[in-house]
Amino acid sequence: MDATSQESFLEFVTNRSTALLRTAVLLSGGDRHAGEDLLQNALMKAAGRWHRIDEPEAYVRQILYRQQVSRWRLKGPRRELTVAEPPDPADGTGTATAADGTGAAELRLVMRDALSRLTARQRAVLVLRYFEDLPEADVARLLGCSVGTVRSTTHRSLARLRALAPELDLLAASDDERQGQQQPPSRDFAPVEVRP
Amino acid sequence: MNVEELVRATLREQAAGTESAPADLAGRVLTARRRRRARHLAGAAATTVLVVAAAVAVPAALDRDGDTVRLASEVSRGRTLTHVDQSPPRDLIAVGEQALAAYFTTRKVEQPNRDEIATRTYSVLDQRTGRYEVDARWAYLTVAPGMRTAAVLERQLPATRIGVLDLLTRKVTRWIPMEGLGGGVGAVEFSPDGKKLIATTYDKNPDRTFWSKKVPVNNTEEPQPVSSRTGFAIVDVGSGTADWHALPAFKEPEYGMTFGSGQKLLFNDDGTLVYEAINVAVDASGEESADKVPARIYRDLRGKEVPAPPREKYVDRMMAPAGLSPNGELVAGPFAGGLRTTATQVLDPRTGDRAAKLKGQELLVWADDERLIAWDIAAGGNEYENRLVLITIGSDKVVSLSGARTPKDYSPGRWEPIFAKR
Repeated sequence: MDATSQESFLEFVTNRSTALLRTAVLLSGGDRHAGEDLLQNALMKAAGRWHRIDEPEAYVRQILYRQQVSRWRLKGPRRELTVAEPPDPADGTGTATAADGTGAAELRLVMRDALSRLTARQRAVLVLRYFEDLPEADVARLLGCSVGTVRSTTHRSLARLRALAPELDLLAASDDERQGQQQPPSRDFAPVEVRP
Repeated sequence: MNVEELVRATLREQAAGTESAPADLAGRVLTARRRRRARHLAGAAATTVLVVAAAVAVPAALDRDGDTVRLASEVSRGRTLTHVDQSPPRDLIAVGEQALAAYFTTRKVEQPNRDEIATRTYSVLDQRTGRYEVDARWAYLTVAPGMRTAAVLERQLPATRIGVLDLLTRKVTRWIPMEGLGGGVGAVEFSPDGKKLIATTYDKNPDRTFWSKKVPVNNTEEPQPVSSRTGFAIVDVGSGTADWHALPAFKEPEYGMTFGSGQKLLFNDDGTLVYEAINVAVDASGEESADKVPARIYRDLRGKEVPAPPREKYVDRMMAPAGLSPNGELVAGPFAGGLRTTATQVLDPRTGDRAAKLKGQELLVWADDERLIAWDIAAGGNEYENRLVLITIGSDKVVSLSGARTPKDYSPGRWEPIFAKR
């Protein structure tokens, strides 16, 4: 790497690393350390051909996504996730209720946990679709697959989230109520166990 | 809210909760890449001939595998690096334009004849790792602006040569001979542009105190320094040429006071004059004077006394080493606190009047035009348990930069900072 490339590389990392790290942590299911590793590896790859890259951010992001969904990364055991929030709500019930306003934050915690249990590919598709707000065609191009695959993976990922966190059904129920449809009351469910 | 919306909200919340990327990420990437490349090159049974060129003006160097190595101080430019749990510091401390380039501790080494030599041990920033490492080879060390080069003197003072030390390789790249110039060199300082050195010369070790000159102090006796300064040399770092002029230690005619062996000489703010600190305040008539007249003499580069430059009339490097601000609009002033409080001040360089009262205990160096690095103590703390802090003109905010020094003189925990422009 020559001095000019290095200068521009350092400037890029200084300006963009926090934004890139956010994506990397999301791709890693909320694991900060795995996110840093992912980003560091992506930056190392990019550094090797820095002088030939026209759009560094797009390039690094593409490496991030592809690296995350590539086969070898799926082999590693899933690491224990560290979250800042206490595992149980203060009232000790541990039950998330969508009707109750205070339940929204808990629901997001449940969702966070469920997201961390998806496969890397499933998570990458959701991050691209719902965090980066990219159209299906762009997601397909970034991940190197067809639009149909993106669509089906999105569908299966959402279904998997519902299966991992049954209390998300409440959302569907409340949505339906808003739309004036009568639904049978949803089944009772056990208190949610949110892993520390 | 449906599941898609919840996914979106959760991802956004999670992203917003992600703390900033590590400050040294770029450095980590480049280091890891270099290591990986080095392994790769070693593994392949192939020889690659690398053509390298060293650019003098760019503070970067090339290491063995041809990669450019960034100076730790350069990589961190623009960032404030603090290590409040470290005293003495282990990792790079830097603010604004300045970085802690090195520091030293001093111990007294008693000689067989009961003389004592105040012996310094320097810890210097390793520009590859960003950590301070002991370099016990030197009796004296000073760092050039840019923090690529240091000037060093070997253990036996006064020294007969000045070493030019590369802070990346930690090797002396050149020796500048100083034999026959007023005995030998006891101290060196760079000019503000780093192109010249002022070497103060002595005929005895200026750090030595002599038992033969002992004086009673607190029911005991202590050896004392003797006046041994002979002069100074202006050294051109590029060519190695030295121009020596005699200048014995300052003596005030009536009081006969000197600064130990003779104070080391410094360049003034723009490097065109010599700054000599003296220990009595005298005005032009030689009389001890009011507080406002600072205790220093300006000389031209041949040693002839000249009037103080208008902007530098109130620079007092003994009481406030920071001196003039980078834009020249303020000058650091002396302690302005009381019996139980610390405070400092900045002055109008033209009048010497106080422009602002500040936090801090001693103003060490300007980080930029509004901020200074200073010593200060924790509230209610011991007067000598100083830590490096960052203070801002017009603000009461004090940001700690280092841990606190131990109060005891000549102890390993009492370190003295050496700052340089990064």
